[in-house]
Amino acid sequence: MREVIAAPHPGLDLRQHYGHHQSPAIRAGGLIFCSGMLPVDPETGERRHGTLTSEAHVILGNLKLLLESAGSSLDRLVQVHALIYDSIEYDVLNRVYRQYVANGPPARTVWTAQIEAGFKIQLDVVAAA
Amino acid sequence: MSARREVIPPSDAASRSGQPASMAVRGGDFLFVSGLTAIDLQSGQRMPGTTASETRQILTNLRQLLEAAGSSLDKVVKVNVLLHSMLEAPNMNDVYVRFFPDPPPARTVCGARLPDGVKVIIECTALA
Repeated sequence: MREVIAAPHPGLDLRQHYGHHQSPAIRAGGLIFCSGMLPVDPETGERRHGTLTSEAHVILGNLKLLLESAGSSLDRLVQVHALIYDSIEYDVLNRVYRQYVANGPPARTVWTAQIEAGFKIQLDVVAAA
Repeated sequence: MSARREVIPPSDAASRSGQPASMAVRGGDFLFVSGLTAIDLQSGQRMPGTTASETRQILTNLRQLLEAAGSSLDKVVKVNVLLHSMLEAPNMNDVYVRFFPDPPPARTVCGARLPDGVKVIIECTALA
């Protein structure tokens, strides 16, 4: 069974705001597959460009809203792909990331990529439902 | 419908790595393995080398990790391989084919800038 997880806050509907042809998340097989998370304002959808740290805080806050609305949580993450704009920021990423995955962190892979709209970070995640 | 989530007990190397990541996490029917770099699983020491030698080291560790978690290379469903240069893809592949069964798992290979000068990162999702 495949179930669409709707945006819990209007700003998190990237399809509506930016025309991205994607659902915020899909639940299937006891797992939740989230679309690439970007630092947008959860109420207005406005882009929140900043430092990697500030962008990561926005993203992880949004991810918390999205997962909790689907009955999951940041503690239930199983896999994270962290795309960053420059590998020089690897330690900066770890510093902020650590604050959100305190216990038994998810499996993770980090690499450098060009991210849309000049953002510095994007998270692609799977959580246990 | 919620799925079981379980962190696979870390190896010595993983617990000393200081990274905010578990080497493997079970979610529902699947085992999600972090992107692995070439290290000695016991000491945690990096083992930098050629694309081929790093690939061999990573897949050797991956096999051990999967088996310790009750899975195996035969149960891998998807692999993502990140290379510092796509010119090295054949060198990675020559080693890769010796580890996985025929028919092999689904796979994506792409070039990426990788942290700390590593040449290869391999992550996978396997049936638990």
